[in-house]
Amino acid sequence: MRLNRSLTIICMFLLVSILPGIALAYTTPESIVASGNVYISGTVYDPEVFFTGDSGTVTVYVTNGNSNQSVVVNHATIGDKNIRLTSNPYDTSANIGPLQTQTFIFSVATDAFEGTYYPTFSLSFRDADSLYYRAMVKVDNTPLELSILDKPDAFTQGKKKTIDVQVANPRKNTVTNVVLEVTGEGISTTPERTFIGALGAGEKIPLNFTITPEIATTALLTLSYNNGDNPHKITLNLPITFGVDKKQANPVISNVQVKTDAGIYHVTGDVNNAGLETANTVMVTALAPAVPQDPYKTYVVGALKPDDFGSFEITFTTDSGVTGIPVELSYKDTDGNIYTTVHDVKISSSGEAATKAGGAFSNMLPVAAAIAIILIFVGGWVYYLRRNRQ
Amino acid sequence: MSTSVIDILVRPDAFFSNAMAEKESLKIPALVILTSGIVAAITGYLMGGLSAKMMAGVMSGLEVIITLSAMAGAFIGTLIFWFVASGVFYLISSLLNGQGSFTRVLQVVGYGYLPQIAGSILTLVAAVLYIPRITVPTLTKAALEDPAMIEQVTKAFMHDPAMMELTQITTLVSIVFMLWSAHIWIFGIKHARGLSPRDAAICVGIPVVLYVLYLTYNLGVI
Repeated sequence: MRLNRSLTIICMFLLVSILPGIALAYTTPESIVASGNVYISGTVYDPEVFFTGDSGTVTVYVTNGNSNQSVVVNHATIGDKNIRLTSNPYDTSANIGPLQTQTFIFSVATDAFEGTYYPTFSLSFRDADSLYYRAMVKVDNTPLELSILDKPDAFTQGKKKTIDVQVANPRKNTVTNVVLEVTGEGISTTPERTFIGALGAGEKIPLNFTITPEIATTALLTLSYNNGDNPHKITLNLPITFGVDKKQANPVISNVQVKTDAGIYHVTGDVNNAGLETANTVMVTALAPAVPQDPYKTYVVGALKPDDFGSFEITFTTDSGVTGIPVELSYKDTDGNIYTTVHDVKISSSGEAATKAGGAFSNMLPVAAAIAIILIFVGGWVYYLRRNRQ
Repeated sequence: MSTSVIDILVRPDAFFSNAMAEKESLKIPALVILTSGIVAAITGYLMGGLSAKMMAGVMSGLEVIITLSAMAGAFIGTLIFWFVASGVFYLISSLLNGQGSFTRVLQVVGYGYLPQIAGSILTLVAAVLYIPRITVPTLTKAALEDPAMIEQVTKAFMHDPAMMELTQITTLVSIVFMLWSAHIWIFGIKHARGLSPRDAAICVGIPVVLYVLYLTYNLGVI
């Protein structure tokens, strides 16, 4: 009997002790006031601006503006039909202390078209109603811009040419891991890949690379970058066509004079640069059938700026009967590409070659005259002897 | 001698007809050869100067030696030609039963050399006019060790346009005056060796024509 009474007293004591706790979870005027001081202190999207199809995160900062009272939240979520939540909502209780900020991070994705969207962030209080906030986000499909600033008028097989390009970011957010890659069949490029890194909104950066083509082809310029964690790329075709560069240096040989000394031909002349670019390391030498001889087997004229000129002298020997020899003129452009041109130089105006050119005819005349004189002499005597015999 | 020197040039038959009646004398023929030799030596001096210039780089003093050699060669060559031509005429005329001394033949050839003086003077004038225009290549010591180089240099020298023209002119002059001399020699040999005009023409004509044909051949191959 005494035991039953004791158990009843204990149960009643426990019920009494629980009652104040039950009374605290109830909505009270104080808790409503306290929840009214809770506000969204910020939202951050990564990426800041989405492409259609991008995924990313949104971070919501919730601040408890009460200076002496905590609030308890037990559910947080964000999203709508355009900005889809791809992670789980917050479903556990969390206590936000006075003047403290709680961070809520969500994964989101969008397949929406370009535009501005307002997904709703909702936060439920344990002791009050919920908090709703529209977190604005933009979807913009404007890609990076890749443009050719300067390129040669034409390419030459095996010759290195420099191409200047510009990468610009017309978007309203920063993109990262920007990489330019140049590829193509039958070409070698330096560098093949250029890492640019992050490119802020509205920024632009100039780049250059060289292409050495072996065949006429099309180079593919691929600009890849990340918008948040989403990879994107754009491409640009650069036709590689062979032809004559209108601006290239154009050394021309003139004022050529040929002399012989001790069987060695001395060819002197001028080299004029009729092009629009500087011709570096201009060299002149004689080719076969000529055999270059000292002292000027090869003459280095040096660098010739546009409209500049320099003199040269080359010495060589050659076989008899040769009336002209090819003279090779070579120069380098600023990239070190070697260009060669061959000019025929007539050497018939000096030495034995001169006689070979017109020799056949000029030798015939005196020979004919000599034979005529001999015939007149012999004929005259034959006539004289016959007349005297008769 | 009752006839003048002019008769040698225009009436050689009459001149030698009279000359054979007189005593053999080589005084005037030697004078003619000497004069021709001196003119040839002057021409040789000029032409030798070209060769000397070509060899100037080989050794100092070589120019003088070459020039003097060219002069002596031209002078002595004229004397040698006198004797060689006389010997050939004498030999051929002997085969044709010719009679008369070798001195007579020397005398005839000496007189017949008179047109050659004019020819030598013309050659000298041509040399004076053309030599300054000739480009002379210079041989170096190193080039002397290479026979191909020497040949090439010599060819270049001989094929210089001015040099070629000079060679053509002097060769034609030599042919003309050599035939003129041959004309005189035929009449001279006829009288000196007692040959018929036909035999005398064969005696002189064959070697002289062969000689001028050789000159003509050289003219064609330069």
